[in-house]
Amino acid sequence: MRTGVIGLILPPTFSFLEMMWRICPALAVGCTVVALVPPASPTPLLLAQLSGELGPFPGILNVISGPASLVPVLASQPGIQKVAFCGALEEGRALRRTLAGECAELGLALGTESLLLLTDTADVDSAVEGVVDAAWSDRGPGGLRLLIQESVWDEAMRRLQERMGRLRSGRGLDGAVDMGARGAAACDLVQRFVREAQSQGAQVFQAGDVPSEHPFYPPTLVSNLPPASPCAWAEVPWPVVVASPFRTAKEALALANGTPRGGSASVWSERLGQALELGYGLQVGTVWINAHGLRDPSVPTGGCKESGCSWHGGPDGLYEYLRPSGTPVRLSCLSKNLNYDTFGLAVPSALPAGPEIGPSPAPPYGLFVGGRFQAPGARSSRPIQDSSGNLHGYVAEGGAKDIRGAVEAAHQAFPGWAGQSPGARAALLWALAAALERRKSTLASRLERQGVELKAAEAEVELSARRLRAWGARAQAQGHTLQVAGLRGPVLRLREPLGVLAVVCPDEWPLLAFVSLLAPALAYGNTVVMVPSAACPLLALEVCQDMATLFPAGLANVVTGDRDHLTRCLALHQDVQAMWYFGSAQGSQFVEWASAGNLKPVWVNRGCLRAWDHEAEGAGPELGLRSARTKALWLPMGD
Amino acid sequence: MTKYNKCWISKIQVNHPAVLRRAEQIQARRTVKKEWQAAWLLKAVTFIDLTTLSGDDTSSNIQRLCYKAKYPIREDLLKALNMYDKGITTAAVCVYPARVCDAVKALKAAGCNIPVASVATGFPAGQTHLKTRLEEIRLAVEDGATEIDVVINRSLVLTGQWEALYDEIRQFRKACGEAHLKTILATGELGSLTNVYKASMIAMMAGSDFIKTSTGKETVNATFPVAIVMLRAIRDFFWKTGNKIGFKPAGGIRSAKDSLAWLSLVKEELGDEWLKPELFRIGASTLLSDIERQIYHHVTGRYAAYHDLPMS
Repeated sequence: MRTGVIGLILPPTFSFLEMMWRICPALAVGCTVVALVPPASPTPLLLAQLSGELGPFPGILNVISGPASLVPVLASQPGIQKVAFCGALEEGRALRRTLAGECAELGLALGTESLLLLTDTADVDSAVEGVVDAAWSDRGPGGLRLLIQESVWDEAMRRLQERMGRLRSGRGLDGAVDMGARGAAACDLVQRFVREAQSQGAQVFQAGDVPSEHPFYPPTLVSNLPPASPCAWAEVPWPVVVASPFRTAKEALALANGTPRGGSASVWSERLGQALELGYGLQVGTVWINAHGLRDPSVPTGGCKESGCSWHGGPDGLYEYLRPSGTPVRLSCLSKNLNYDTFGLAVPSALPAGPEIGPSPAPPYGLFVGGRFQAPGARSSRPIQDSSGNLHGYVAEGGAKDIRGAVEAAHQAFPGWAGQSPGARAALLWALAAALERRKSTLASRLERQGVELKAAEAEVELSARRLRAWGARAQAQGHTLQVAGLRGPVLRLREPLGVLAVVCPDEWPLLAFVSLLAPALAYGNTVVMVPSAACPLLALEVCQDMATLFPAGLANVVTGDRDHLTRCLALHQDVQAMWYFGSAQGSQFVEWASAGNLKPVWVNRGCLRAWDHEAEGAGPELGLRSARTKALWLPMGD
Repeated sequence: MTKYNKCWISKIQVNHPAVLRRAEQIQARRTVKKEWQAAWLLKAVTFIDLTTLSGDDTSSNIQRLCYKAKYPIREDLLKALNMYDKGITTAAVCVYPARVCDAVKALKAAGCNIPVASVATGFPAGQTHLKTRLEEIRLAVEDGATEIDVVINRSLVLTGQWEALYDEIRQFRKACGEAHLKTILATGELGSLTNVYKASMIAMMAGSDFIKTSTGKETVNATFPVAIVMLRAIRDFFWKTGNKIGFKPAGGIRSAKDSLAWLSLVKEELGDEWLKPELFRIGASTLLSDIERQIYHHVTGRYAAYHDLPMS
């Protein structure tokens, strides 16, 4: 069902199409839109006037023309259910921090840079045309990083410089120009960038028939920029192309994936196998093979990493403006006096339990990291009590070092697991389900000690096993093709794993919630670091005993300890690709705030309980959607 | 002319959809209007090889054609544009070998030194013995043709015999002697854009003065994607050797608007130096009347009737 009121924020220079692609899907699914646009663009106001003429529904599109300082004001209005922000990286980060804990969800689409990978089996002249489309025209949103294979470096540079000489710049409405101007601010930005690049030793080549008045800037080609220089790290502004060489396809992928931006890229190669391998390996939202900048409303366009994870176009674009039916509207959990610097920093010391009554408990569990149980770095454990207040067992007290180790182990296991076929993943999940069923009596008795009735406990174990099997079966589903008008050839919508997923499980349903969160994450090819239920982590640790024998090392890692402290470590970790948090309202706020560090997508529950035994909430399509990211792969055909 | 150099064609790849996109862009983005359009149209007239290649050509229609070549635009229109005595004629007249004598005689009578171009080597299919093809060239040159348009042997391209193709064109070059050689690639029959590029390179290596897209008799003649590939080949050959080879699209160019698009294509891809009759020709017959009608409209503001303008 639809989300509600959407607040839309557009950047200082945006194209008409971009604006329509954000407004129209929102209106189509039934949301209403309030848009904040920079004062220099009257087009959205005209659109709002046209929409106001629709008699029965006067208020569906509202446009406010104002400066960037109004952004936080709009975003924190109480009636807004979702803020869709499109613009620069730092502003997106700041917005993420201010919106932590507010009731509005946040969707970010940041950055304008794209990438072009030119191999030696490419049609170099056509790739040069691709560079023109990407960076030296009005079709491309931003600058371009150009990676050229060393063996065709000279040829490519020569053709690029020759082509630049034929570009014409002028006022946009003159039909015979290739590119216009984008305003004084953009011009200043690019001038600064080019000056800095020159001072860091790069060679700058400019050409083209360009008027010399202020907002016009000539097409620019920068080469020999040392990779470690600050300029090479910053986003490339329009209309600059920064060219760097590479030797092999493997090096190309490493260079291409070695930036925090993950928007769009194109691969130029006439060898199908090589082109597909590069296309699948790039960590971006859209890949074009032998083309650049093709767009269509039925194909999802978005990004990953620091390009934000919001989408427009295609099914993913619609999901942005929808939420699962039956879930309540999100409440604000804003706590103004949450101190981000001290939340979860220190672990409250746990007093030792009273004298132990009853049979001597088992020795303390370790942390399950890297496929085996290990002692925690702090060498201490905490007691876990059962429902009648008696000591149930000891679990390890995990800390920052353990989190670091767990994330590293998960990263090491990730390439192997992501490369497994869906059938192999399904087989492992089914094996775990069978192991759970063999362990039913132990698990049920532990659940009983936690106060769950025997019949309910057995039902919980069976349901957990069923869920594992169901997600295993869904792992078979692959990406599907979309039909695109105007393109001869397929466009694939691939679903790829996110990477390392951090999950903080809720206190309730210690076994079912743990399994319901573990299964979809693993089924889609992610590796996980889980913090089990604080009230009773023993059930999760029992499952770990089976995972130790069945799963490859590092696939699933379980770290017990103080929940707030572990949450802090995971949320601030730059190498965790996504985080799910089901804990307190304060914790949710902290997680949203801390995710601004590497802009990881987060899913928090704001302190609300979730009915894990109901299908819709415990095993619904929302879990599947959040466990993977989309990539659009364009394959124009023709010879 | 250079030696046969295999590595110039061995690593070439041409991506068809990307070339198609570039072709669409050029047509959309470089339009000319008003008096500049009139100037470009007059320039286009000076590039035309006025052509008649029909089975029913006789000396009477050849004579009419040659006269039209000398006076392509009506006298009063040229006077209105102030271009009457600037020597606006077409670049050449193109006929079958049997009609070369008639053409030379008609041009001499009109007092004009426009070259006569003859097609040769089994035009249009080229499927005759090499001996007769070479003999055709020699006979046409004897009769007074100063430009020869030859067709390549497509079967050599389709079977990948590049060196054999080079040798054949070398022989055509020798048979031409002093005459100017245009090599027709018949791109509609070559199968892929990569083959078009390779054939263009071979033709230039073997000593052609011009490469021409098509005979005008195939199902697909001169299109923009094919032209882009050939122009890129000409540019690459110039970068490698310093020799400028000319380009001629032929067949299917009927409207004045098309001819302007062709001019801007050459200007974009190769530059202004190629926009001279020594390096660029357009093979056309009905194009001239459409250009004349556009100029009539520009000068008078009215649309001409069929009988207002002299026949060619």
